[in-house]
Amino acid sequence: MKRWDLIVIGTGLAGLTAARTAVEMGAKVLVIGRGMGSLTLFGNTIDVLGEIPPGADMATGVADWIAVHPDHPYARMGWSGISEALNAFRELFPSPYTFDSVGRGNSLVPTGAGTMRPTYLLPITMTAGAGMSAADTLIIGLRGFKDFQGDTVSLDLQCRGVNLSLPRYGLEGLTALALARLMDEGPFRESLGEAIRRQMAGEKRIGLPAVLGLKAPADVLKTLETITGAKVFEIPMLPPSIPGTRIFHRFREFLIAKGATFLLGNPVIGADVKEGRCEGITLQNPPLLTVYRAERYILATGRFLGGGIQADRERISEPLFHLPVLQPESRGEWFRERFFQPEAHPIHRAGIVTDAELRPVDAGGRVILKNVRAAGSILAHHQMIEEHSHEGIDIATGYLAVRRALAS
Amino acid sequence: MDLQTEVLIIGGGATGAGISRDLALRGIPSLLVEKDDFTSGASGRNQGLLHSGARYAVTDPEAARECITENRILRRIAPHCIEDTGGLFVSLPEDGHEYRANFIRACGVAGIDTEPLSAREALSMEPKLSPLMIGAVQVPDGAIDPFTLVVENARDAESRGARFLLHTEVTGLIREGLRISGARVKDRITGEEFTIAASQVINATGAWANEILSLAGLSIGIALSKGSMLITNTRLSERVINRCRPPASGDIIVPNDTVSILGTTSLRAEDLENHAVTPEEVSFLVDELSRMIPAIKGERFTRAYAGVRPLVQTAQAGDDREISRGFALIDHQSRDGLEGLITITGGKLITYRLMAEKTADFICARMGLHVPCLTHLQPLPGAGRGHTFQDRLLRLRHQIPAFRRELLCDCELVPREAVDAILREGKVRELQDILHRTRLAKGTCQGGFCVYRLLGVLNERRKEEGLGGSNRILKGFLEERWKGIRPVLWGTSLKEEELIESIYKGLFNLTPEEAATADGGHP
Ligand SMILES: Cc1cc2nc3c(=O)[nH]c(=O)nc-3n(C[C@H](O)[C@H](O)[C@H](O)COP(=O)(O)OP(=O)(O)OC[C@H]3O[C@@H](n4cnc5c(N)ncnc54)[C@H](O)[C@@H]3O)c2cc1C
Ligand SMILES: Cc1cc2nc3c(=O)[nH]c(=O)nc-3n(C[C@H](O)[C@H](O)[C@H](O)COP(=O)(O)OP(=O)(O)OC[C@H]3O[C@@H](n4cnc5c(N)ncnc54)[C@H](O)[C@@H]3O)c2cc1C
Repeated sequence: MKRWDLIVIGTGLAGLTAARTAVEMGAKVLVIGRGMGSLTLFGNTIDVLGEIPPGADMATGVADWIAVHPDHPYARMGWSGISEALNAFRELFPSPYTFDSVGRGNSLVPTGAGTMRPTYLLPITMTAGAGMSAADTLIIGLRGFKDFQGDTVSLDLQCRGVNLSLPRYGLEGLTALALARLMDEGPFRESLGEAIRRQMAGEKRIGLPAVLGLKAPADVLKTLETITGAKVFEIPMLPPSIPGTRIFHRFREFLIAKGATFLLGNPVIGADVKEGRCEGITLQNPPLLTVYRAERYILATGRFLGGGIQADRERISEPLFHLPVLQPESRGEWFRERFFQPEAHPIHRAGIVTDAELRPVDAGGRVILKNVRAAGSILAHHQMIEEHSHEGIDIATGYLAVRRALAS
Repeated sequence: MDLQTEVLIIGGGATGAGISRDLALRGIPSLLVEKDDFTSGASGRNQGLLHSGARYAVTDPEAARECITENRILRRIAPHCIEDTGGLFVSLPEDGHEYRANFIRACGVAGIDTEPLSAREALSMEPKLSPLMIGAVQVPDGAIDPFTLVVENARDAESRGARFLLHTEVTGLIREGLRISGARVKDRITGEEFTIAASQVINATGAWANEILSLAGLSIGIALSKGSMLITNTRLSERVINRCRPPASGDIIVPNDTVSILGTTSLRAEDLENHAVTPEEVSFLVDELSRMIPAIKGERFTRAYAGVRPLVQTAQAGDDREISRGFALIDHQSRDGLEGLITITGGKLITYRLMAEKTADFICARMGLHVPCLTHLQPLPGAGRGHTFQDRLLRLRHQIPAFRRELLCDCELVPREAVDAILREGKVRELQDILHRTRLAKGTCQGGFCVYRLLGVLNERRKEEGLGGSNRILKGFLEERWKGIRPVLWGTSLKEEELIESIYKGLFNLTPEEAATADGGHP
């Protein structure tokens, strides 16, 4: 049986970052994922910490914030560790489809609900949204594409909006993926560009649903900008996410080129644990059960949606290694009375508690498994949704977990 | 604006809507005021059981007989609101055979057909039943769709001259000496206040009956009992499944279209507007009902909701369930010496027509008219048009041209056209009104996806009307949705919730405060 240096369980941004960090360090890596991970649902921009006000310097902002949030996963690496990991991420996306911040801090980008959301790194296809103002922007909706409601976006952003119909292409009922594939083909983007141009009334920016192709979004952007003479930007919308799918594909392509092995589609159903070490994990691959063994393991299985933690009517548990999960006392305390509250629901802070090297620990702070590290949203003590820190936590902890694992 | 009518009906539940139709069929003009929308009270918060009466056969033979009579009438006049599922009364070992024998006898006395089944027969009909069961009895229970029932009654009444004011609350009664001559009302959306003069005022506010009566310094003896229910993601049985034991909490599972409804609890209610379902109630229902259908333990729940029963007190009793489920028609002239006001409350959804008949009979007598009731003979206008998932699927295929088949909700097959048609009618004033009239937000995602799309449709209109967009509507919906979903968040529902929160709070950055605008807060 082949033995790996490192097995990564989970194909969200944390798992992918871990795998990539490991291959860059020369390790032989196996990546196991049940599905495509949350990137393909919500991945858009890279949020690091939305609480830092737009325009403020991120480095000092995050450092100050960590000082008052000593349990947060970010406290394990500090800003220097976070930015090292973010830089590594950016290197994976060379020109023309790059990720950058606008200035030295967060910027606000428009969303499919017509709100503005703070974020840190933006793909090139979204940067023009960060500088939009109501007066100079035209929002384009596509009639029949129901997951982006152009009128909701334009009315709430108080700018002009138009719903295009392109009868020749029969857009009624199309999915985001189908639209993105159409964009990948030259003729469609040109017809779209022309149709937009005819609607313009002096606007300098054009906002579109985030479906500007999977293969070469920067080319689609360029075509549309050339035809319209305006800056064009994508607006994040309901899942599934095309920009997130691009990130996923880029990681996978890179990892496979570097010799990592991918096993997608089957669940890990058990772990072989002996004397404080994981000796192997069992993958269900009907009708077979296959055991894979490695020196080290990264647990990056996400939260409830990813299956990293689960809940019955009584308790929250971690199904794979049966690690202790930090959690509120009883189900009655998981959620607050109102959906929108200034404070996150207590259940969001639940998760796996680790030592400084991201090894899960028990209530007494003792390391449970020497060769297993946890990364990403499965960790305790953050509230990624309200903090707008999901991608930042994934990237920073995925990176750190592997640096520490391979150093040992 | 001040209005005048012959009969003023307060309350737009099944009873009020039923009275309005009954009077209209007899040619008597009426105006109905409802503080929210139709079916906002108990009529939209019940278990949807078309009682055969068997449930009450042992304890309340009179109620049982009423039920079976109305059961048969409703099957005739409202076939499109009913699914003839049939029902089983299931005996578990601890229930024994003795109660079952009593039960069959009592059903016979009340005129309810029964068919005893062996455990094996019952299991072959309903394979999810517990293999521990010792036998079952088949009865003519069914499932009823109260939303369609009430709206159809109202539509028919309206086509015959009756009038409705929704989102309009009665805030006072106008008293002239020993006579009630109308009501003061308030439009809850615009805030406008006005009066309605009437020769007869009918208080059909169900559990709110005493709130209205207190406006005239009166009260009647009713106890309020909250009942909570859970909705499953899939339909668990073909038939209604009852527990064959004396009526108690957690004893019934009613199929409804694509889902099943588990019920109910019975707790004294203090606050009429607070229908919070507690974690204890949820656990109780799951534990208790999984004894009849063990798969319930692993089932996914999409929603919890509760309603308040007004139990008319006929005698002193300790347990609320002992109080009669019958209805009360109270003439405040003979009872309190106050003319022009009657109260109709209590009863059941399935006795709404009978309650309306008795009320209209009374009004006719008061007015010296001799016109017979027609509601037991005259079918509702939509009879023949099916409302089940299958029906929607067929309609979508055959009646809606392909280019118009934009589905707002993929799980429940709600086409955009259905919403456009409701909007064209011009009656709806709130998002919730649309939800009451379609199956939007009733499927697996509980509106997580389709309400964003619905908002798009609404915003298209707002734009045409020159209004601004409003994320407040979206936030308001999510807050309402939360109440129903919070009690059932574990297992798969919890995963879905992470998805929904990630979309609306994460991706869309909707926050408790007003959302930031494009020009706000950045250079
Ligand atoms: C938990 C539960 C389960 C049930 N299950 C079943 C069942 O399975 N089968 C069955 O047949 N029956 C069932 N019932 C009983 C049934 O739901 C009720 O008997 C029936 O719906 C009562 O209808 P109603 O019109 O009298 O009252 P409601 O539907 O409550 O209508 C009263 C209306 O008055 C309005 N109102 C109140 N105050 C004012 C005001 N000041 N101004 C204007 N309007 C006002 C309210 O908003 C409300 O819409 C159940 C009841 C409960 C609570
Ligand atoms: C026959 C029938 C079939 C149904 N089928 C389905 C179905 O297939 N799918 C589905 O999703 N739903 C179904 N429902 C439920 C329905 O969608 C509504 O949930 C129900 O009618 C209650 O109305 P509401 O949610 O508008 O009530 P709301 O007043 O909006 O209440 C929503 C929730 O909030 C709770 N609540 C109210 N006040 C408070 C408070 N102060 N604090 C905390 N909680 C509170 C209520 O218990 C309820 O759970 C069905 C209902 C019936 C009667």
